[in-house]
Parts: sequence; C-alpha cells; structure tokens
Amino acid sequence: MRRYQGIAVALLAALAAAGCGETKQPAGAPPGSTGADGAAAATSAASASGEAAPSGNAPTDATFTYANGNNIVTDFDPATSYSNEVIALNNVYEQLTRYDAETKTVKPLLADSWTSTADGKSWTFRLHPGVTFHTGKPVTAAAAKAAIERTIKLKGGAAYIWDAVETIQAPDDATLTFKLKYAAPIDLISSSTYAAFIYDTTAAGDGDLKKWFGQAKDAGTGPYVVGAWKKGDQNELRLEQFPDYWRGWEGAHYKHVLFQYVPEETTRRQLLDSGQASMADRLSPQLFAEAKDQGRLATAERPSFQNLIAFLNTSHGPLKDVRVRQAVSKAIDYEGIVAVLKGSAVPASGLIPEGLLGYKEGLAQAKDLDAAKTLMGQAGYGEGKRAKLLLTISNGDADQRVVATLLKSNLAEIGIDVTVQPLEWQTQWDKAKSTDPTKRQDIFVMYWWPDYADPFSWFVNLFKSADPPFFNVSYLVDPAIDKQIDALPSLTATDREAAQASYEAIQTRLLEQAVAVPLYVVNYQRVLQKNVSGYVDNPAYANVAFVYDLTPTG
Amino acid sequence: MAAAVPAQTEQVPTAGRLRALTGDRLALLGAAIVLVVLVCALLAPVLAPSPEDAGGATDPVNALLAPSGDHLLGTDQVGRDILSRLLYGARTSLRIAVEVIGLAILIGLPLGMVAGYVGGLLDDVLMRVTDVFLAFPALLLALALAAVLTPSVGNAAIAIAVTWWPWYARLIRAQAATVASSGYVASARALGVSHARILLRHVLPNSAAPVIVQASVDFGGVILTAAALSYLGLGAQDPTPEWGLMVSQGQSLFTTQWWVVTFPGLAILLTALGFNLLGDGLRSILDPRQVTRDRHP
Amino acid sequence: MRRVLVRRLGQALIVLVGVVIVTFGVARLVPGDPAITYAGPRASQEELDRVRVELGLDRPWPEQLVDYAGGVATGDWGTSLHTRRPVLDDLSTAVPASLELVLVALVVAALVGVPLGILAARRRGRLVDGTIRLLSTLAVSMPVFWLGLILQNVFFARLGWLPVAGEYDPQLDYTSPLTVWTRMTVVDALIGGNWPVLSSALAHLALPAAAVAAYPTGAIAQMTRASLLETVGEDHVRMARALGFGERAIYGRLALRPALNPVIALVALVFAYSLANTFLVEAIFNWPGLGSYAAASITTLDTPAILGVTLFVAVAYVLANLLVDLVQAAIDPRVRRAL
Repeated sequence: MRRYQGIAVALLAALAAAGCGETKQPAGAPPGSTGADGAAAATSAASASGEAAPSGNAPTDATFTYANGNNIVTDFDPATSYSNEVIALNNVYEQLTRYDAETKTVKPLLADSWTSTADGKSWTFRLHPGVTFHTGKPVTAAAAKAAIERTIKLKGGAAYIWDAVETIQAPDDATLTFKLKYAAPIDLISSSTYAAFIYDTTAAGDGDLKKWFGQAKDAGTGPYVVGAWKKGDQNELRLEQFPDYWRGWEGAHYKHVLFQYVPEETTRRQLLDSGQASMADRLSPQLFAEAKDQGRLATAERPSFQNLIAFLNTSHGPLKDVRVRQAVSKAIDYEGIVAVLKGSAVPASGLIPEGLLGYKEGLAQAKDLDAAKTLMGQAGYGEGKRAKLLLTISNGDADQRVVATLLKSNLAEIGIDVTVQPLEWQTQWDKAKSTDPTKRQDIFVMYWWPDYADPFSWFVNLFKSADPPFFNVSYLVDPAIDKQIDALPSLTATDREAAQASYEAIQTRLLEQAVAVPLYVVNYQRVLQKNVSGYVDNPAYANVAFVYDLTPTG
Repeated sequence: MAAAVPAQTEQVPTAGRLRALTGDRLALLGAAIVLVVLVCALLAPVLAPSPEDAGGATDPVNALLAPSGDHLLGTDQVGRDILSRLLYGARTSLRIAVEVIGLAILIGLPLGMVAGYVGGLLDDVLMRVTDVFLAFPALLLALALAAVLTPSVGNAAIAIAVTWWPWYARLIRAQAATVASSGYVASARALGVSHARILLRHVLPNSAAPVIVQASVDFGGVILTAAALSYLGLGAQDPTPEWGLMVSQGQSLFTTQWWVVTFPGLAILLTALGFNLLGDGLRSILDPRQVTRDRHP
Repeated sequence: MRRVLVRRLGQALIVLVGVVIVTFGVARLVPGDPAITYAGPRASQEELDRVRVELGLDRPWPEQLVDYAGGVATGDWGTSLHTRRPVLDDLSTAVPASLELVLVALVVAALVGVPLGILAARRRGRLVDGTIRLLSTLAVSMPVFWLGLILQNVFFARLGWLPVAGEYDPQLDYTSPLTVWTRMTVVDALIGGNWPVLSSALAHLALPAAAVAAYPTGAIAQMTRASLLETVGEDHVRMARALGFGERAIYGRLALRPALNPVIALVALVFAYSLANTFLVEAIFNWPGLGSYAAASITTLDTPAILGVTLFVAVAYVLANLLVDLVQAAIDPRVRRAL
C-alpha cells in the first residue's frame, strides 16, 4: 500500500459528527464535567469508561501514548480505512488471523483454526466461541460474513484483497467458508492490515453505518474502544479498555491508549525525553542514534516490509531506451544513500524486502560508473549531448528529499540533468496519471508496502500493465510478465516453491530491464520508554503497536 | 486602511550631537553588515572552500561533520560544506530581494502615478484594490500563491511581490497627488505640456527619494519572508543554497547536529538586521519628513 | 462622526468583497483536481462526476464565485476536502488556540515594548537608547521559525525548564479534566478553576508565545519611541516644557497619551501579522491552531481550507483596522478629519 500522507482514501465522505472532535476530556470522566458540546463517544465508549473498569482486572491506570508523525484518523470505517488510522483501528478491530513476522506463519485470532482444499479454492475457518462485539452482539459466522461482504461491496481501500472470493457461507455460528474463483491464500489475506476487520454491520441499526462510523464510533471486537477523537489536536485520538474483551485482562495491561499527532521529529524525541510519550513511530536516524547512545530510552529496530523505489518511465522520453534506464540504475550510489540515511535504511536486494515470499539474496544493485557511461554512449549521449529528466518525490518526506539530492548528483556524473519536483502525493500521482504522456514524469519515487504479508501487491499494482495507468508508474506493458503475475495468487496458495521461483524470475527480468530501481528498504527505528515491555515490531502491520500485548512496568 | 500613522520624525535641529552619533553608529553597523553580505555574494566563488557544494555535488561519506579546520561550519546531511552554501546563499537572498522590490516598483509605480495624478474614481478604485491586497499579510498570500505555483526561487519572488506592490503604489500615489494638486501642473498644462511629460519630468523625480528609502527599509522584510517561504518548502528547492531551506533541512538534526540549523539562521538574522538598521538610518537622513511607513510583511 | 462611520464601514465592506474575490481567484489556480482529492484515488469516473456536481465544479466559474461569496456571507465556508468537516467548524476549533497564542504574545509585547520605547525616547541618543534600538531591530529581524527552534533547544533540551510542545500535559485529561468553554485552554482553566491545567497550560504557552512575541515587541518599542519623540516636539509639549513642567510629567502625562495612539494602530496591524506568523511557529510547537491547520491544508491542496484560513486572517485584519480607526476617530478629532 502506498501511504496516503494524510489524504483520505475513503470513497465516501466520512461525515465527522460535531460531537466527536471537541471534548477536552476522556470518555471516562464523570458526566457533568463535560464541556458545552462534549457529548462525545457516548455510546460504546461509555461502557468502557472509567466507572466500569474498576470491577475488571486491570491492575493499573497506565496510558500508552504513541507519538506519530502523521494525522491519525482520516476514515473510521473499518471497511474502507486505508490510511494511517490503521495504527489505532488494529487495536479496536480484529481480523480472523494475524501474521507473525517472527515465525513467518499465520496465527489464529478470531478464527481458532482453518483448513483449505488441495486446490486452494475452498477455505473453512472455525471461529473462536464466545466473542462479542463492542456493541454486545455475538461474533457469529453470519456476522463475519456480513462484515466481509460489506467491505467487498464498498470497494474502498484495500477491498481488492478479496478479489478471489466468489461466495462466503456461514453454515453454522462457528463455521465460515470461502469459495474462490481461483486459488488464493485466504488465511494470509484475512490477516491483512486493511479491509480484513470483522465488525458488527448492524451497529447503526436502521441508520447509515458509514455515517455512524464517521461519528468516531466503532463496532469491533478488539481490546480497546474509541474514546474521544479531536481532529487536528495533538492528542488526537484516545482509546479506552473494553472490559469484556474476549482474551481477558489478566495481568498488567495498559488501560488507556493515546495517539498523538506530532509532525516534528525533534518534538517527538523531546516528548519521549520528558516521559510524555511512550513510543514514537519514527525519529531521524541522528535522533535515534542519540537516544540509543544515551540509554535512558529503549530502542528497537528491524528492517521493514517497506521499500523506496524509483520507477523509470518505460513508455516515453529518454528512459524509453533500455540502455539509458540501465545506465541510471548503474549510476546510483546505493551505498551512499544508505550511508546518508544512517541506519534508517538497509540495502535492498530486489524488489521484495527480506522476510517475505520471493525475497532473494544477491539481487542488490551496485554502482558501476564506467558501465553506466558506456551505456549512455551507446544510447547516443555523450560530449555535448545531455539527457534531461524530471524526477518527482513526495513533498513531506525528509528522506525522499535527501535521496533526490543524491540521485541528482549521481546522475549528473553520467550526463543526465535531473530536475527534482517535490510534490504533494496527490499532485505527484495525478501527474503520473496524466492522459498526455508527455506531461508525465521520467522518474517517480515512492514507498510501497504490502497490505498483508505477501509480495503480490508490489507486482499486481506496480508492474502489471494497466491503461489508464494507476499505480504502474513505470508504464510497463509486458504481456509475459502480466501472465506470470496473474498466476502468482494460485501458486502462492498451492505451491509456494513454485511461487518463490516465479517471484525471483519476475524480479530478475524487471531489474535487467531497469523498469524500476529499488533504492533501499526502510529500517524501522522505534524509541520507547523503558517501562514499556513486550514490544515486538511486526512489519506486516506497518507502524502498528498492538497495545494489548504490551505491559506497563515500574 | 492606513490610519493616521505618525511620522517617525527625528528632530534633527534640536537633536544632540550624541544622539545623531549613536543613530549613525547603528546605521554604520547596518551598512557594515550589508557590505559583508554583498562581498560574500559577489565573491562567493572565491571565498567558498568548495563552490561545487553550492550546486549539485554531494559527499555522503562526509555527511554531518562537526565544524573543524576542514569545514569551518561543518557539513550537512549529504556532506556539503555549510560555509560554501551560506556564502552562495547570500546570492539567493539578495536576488530574491532585488526581484521582489523591482517587481513591486514596476507594478506600483505606474499604478500609483496614474491614481495620484488622475484622481477621482480611478484613484478610488485603485486604492481600494491596494486595500484588498494589503489586507492579506504578505506571508499568508505568498503562502497561498506559492502553494499554487510550482515552488522555486522565482515563483517565491513573484508571490511576495504580489503582496508588496501596494505599498509602492500608495507611496507614489501620494507624491503624484501632491504634484497634481500644485498650481504648477495647471500652468504647465496651459502651456501645452503633455501629461506624460509632467509625469516623467516632475512626478517621477519627486518619488525617487521616498521610493529609495522604502526599498532600503523593505530589503530586510523581503529577505525574512523569502526565508520563511523556503523554510515551509514553498520557495527555493534543493540544491539551491537558500538559508531558510537550510534551516528546514536541518531542523530534525537540531539537538544532535546543531551547526546545520544555527548558521543559516544566524545568516538570516544578521542580514535582515543589517538592512533594517541601514534602512532606518537612510530614512532619517534622506527622508526626514517620513512619508514612508514601517512595513509589516 | 456618523459620516465617518458610514464611509469607513463602506470601505471595509468593499475591501471584504475584494478579499473574497482574490481568495477565490487564488483557489482557482490550485493545480490538481479537487474532485479526485475529495473522492479518493480509487474512485470511478462516475463517482468523480458525481462529486464534481456535488462540489459545483461542473458550473462556470462566475457562478461558482457568486455561490462562494454567498456562502461566505451566510456562514457556509465550504467543506474541507481533508477533514471533511465544514471549514468554519474546523476554524472554530483552530482559531481559539491561535488567538490565545497571539493575544498572550501581544500583551507581553506591549508590556515590554512600550516601557522600552519610553525609556529609549527619554534617554535618546544615549547608550540605553542605542541598545534598545539595536535590540528592537534585532527582534523585528528575527526569523521566528529559527527563534522557535533555539528557544526549544535552550529551554527544553538544555535547561529542561519548560515543556516542548502541545497545549498542556495530556495526562491531566484523566486526573483533572478540563471543561471546554472558549477553547482557549488558559481561559477555560481559569473559568473552571482548574489549577493543574492552568499551570501546565501556562508553562506550555511560554515558548511559542515568546517566539511570536519577538516581532511585535520590537515593532512596538520602535513605534513608541518614534511617536513619543514626535509628540515631544509638538508645540503644546514645548510650551509645557517652557512652563517648567518636569520631564516625568512631560513624558508621562502630556506626550504619552497622544503618542500611544499610533501604537494602538500598530498593534492592530501586528495582530494580523502575528496570526500569519503562527504558520511558522505552531508546527514547531505542535500547537493545534490556525497555523497548523493552514500548513496541513496547504500540503494536502485542500482548497476550501486554504481559502478559509486566508479569508479568516484577511477579515480579521480588515476588522481590526476598522475597529482601530473608529476608536481613534472617536477619541481624536484630528484622526476623524483624516478619514
């Protein structure tokens, strides 16, 4: 998924209700102290409020505060949510399964177990008994079916992950069966960060469910419920414990979760220093290194499933010539980029980050200036004739700016003058989709990461031919590759070794043709308070902290 | 809109010598700073230890080196010498200031002359138009415009000029109106002198002094506004050496690599200070009657 | 007086109409398709068409302008493409935070700037005068975004005296929840007698307010000094001096009152300027005000929101000026004639 920096991706306007953004107090505060219009979160949150909890098992009153560089919420609808709010929604909603990045296996969540037929076209899940939604309704197979069907029907966000599904059946309360058009790994798909939440579709009664969600309400099964939402505020979103959570509250858990919107890295660092934040999503490599050296805070880092890719325009301009593209890929100082990003980047090997199916060692690119110059010469460039390229990056991203500076400097060495255009993501993307090919960029730089722990999303979105272009901003049209890509889901569900081989072959071909240049894999660097224990970064759920799994200590 | 803003009169005749001296001293300090900035801008290629760092060159291995003998002011996140970029940055800032004020005069001069000379309805309309533009704080309208135009040094200059010209239009209008209402114009007209000639020969020269004073006072404000736009990513783009951009690039490094932010910020501060001191000094010498007013960008 | 009032109101109205036209014009230039921003990238062509109709983008621009102007007058400032809330609602939450910041900064600026200006005028030509003039020129030459960073670094990172960002400690929401009245935290805490929040809010306010206050402090000091020196030179003050009134009486009673008139006018000008300056300061201090809102709307090309902020600040400026002109006209007949 491409991170839509703050731009709502939902199809329909989630009409935020007047009440939700405005109260200056948590939902659990005594009534009567509420502000003039602070009727917020009166419904589901009230049941989880401060008065209700003491009878539960929560031993502490601890708050987990997550300082995040992006706006937290753009869409509260679990069906269409496809942006930063998933870091919160994954604590409010749950999927049938969850991917464990450590063991690289799919683990049970709302589903206790599942089976599939040998052809991979029929999947049956056994649901965990006795789970209820925050609305009080039990989680039955019929309810899960209704949720997934609504998600598919709305076609928003990452709903495409269910494309293989033909029908869903709920023969009894605990059995959920998927019949597929073609083989697909439904166990993995149902662990998706986006569009795989199971929620109560009857939460709004006769009302409009989408509007209901838009009022900062939730109908999930997760450990926390939405407390208060203050759009644009630093303390943007609060979650409160759901006392009847099905996995129980034995032992020490956080009672409140606060998501802070803190755009400045220095400020995030300083909030951590002063103990006001428990964790930050990302700090600059320098700030991270400093925090690590000082030792007062805990740090965690691991390579993510997110990589930065430069897409070369294969259909128009100088880069239409494969030799120029190859020259570009050989002129880039990959080591220099990783060096400058000082720890927030690790070298990429191929288009798939390590830890995912299809990753292969030894696909890393290397700078070879002589070869690059030779290729440029063969393409007809050289003394007196320089190529001009337009490179677009996303405006708000400091790392992309640094990378662009380096790329510009690298390509100047082989006679290519690069104009860097930092654009808002939306504008950058609109330009890439211009109907007039001459208005498109030559090099498009963006991050990509999967919706669920599988590399398919890179290939189906980025390299399968599509006209008009959507995310395939290299404008590649290669029927052979299209055919290989189409076969990937079935292969993944039935024969993972064959899938691995196919992914390797496709990557090799794309890199040889220099269709896109993987620049680096993002290294997640988290800084936490030392009193937060149990944090494990799960790159399959980009930037999500599963607060239920964390323990407040000392 | 302009309420009765007072003359900032220096009582030259009654002033003690001491006071004049202090005033001069500050103006001299300003002039000295401005001179240094001008020298930096002119001689940047000679003074800069590594002129290529002001352009496209990068040096990842030497990124974020602290100030030392090799790099007097340290290096930035892609290994460029900060001193070299600061020196070239003086060129960028001065260029923007000259462009903005030039453009503002270019727009404001004819409009102001016509408004003041012709008077009547045309004058009213033009002055209401300047009122409208003056209602937008320069930074705000420039922000909106810069967000619309592709960010670049040139477009930042255009965006700022759009908010700056009304001051010159008003200034020149006042001069033109004074000339137009004098008996001289009526007699000149009676003698068959053309309007154009009156405007060129009499209104224009009369406007020169206040315009020069206003321009000198404005330099500091324009440099600050341009730096603010670049700081917000709406002005100069990397690798253009620009001080506001350099501050924003180093912002997240501030607590760890202080030199990346500190020096460009100081450069903005000192340059603006120099021009403001010099401008105030010039104002008290050239224009003791103070028809100009302080700019609030 | 009545004629002045009518004339001045008429002028202000004309300017406001112009402001609306200019903001609309700027918005029309924004690249990118607002419908795509609104509908989301995966929207189909039909959905885009439907959104275009919904947003009125399918109609000719004069019609859109009239629509927009009518909406502005009746309180419909459009819907933010980004937050999907009415722009006026968004502003109503953002503006109080900024107002709080700017008002505190202006009060500080007046409390510091006016005495400094008086001191400089009384000691004109001496070292004190020179120092004050240098300092006030430094203050108006200060890049506020840089000052904000320096303040943060010194008072938070190095000394640890003051908090770095936000309006108050979020933990207080649990221990002593704040009742919302005005959305200005300090005011709300005062009304509700919420002392923990009040002290936390004041501590959080200190650094951003200091950054915003730099420019007005310098400008007010300069203006007070210049204005005083001018009044002191006027006939009636010279007369008073000739009659043997002491310096204290001359500066304190005779010259100061009229000299402060232009300072009041300046405060109105600086008010709007400081509102715009919050653009540079709020992001650094994570202050949930107009500046943060504007920055977010500019980076997301959220046209209605950009328009809303621009319009708001311009209207605030026009009204502040109007108010000052009228107040001055009411007190001072000379100003009345000038209008």
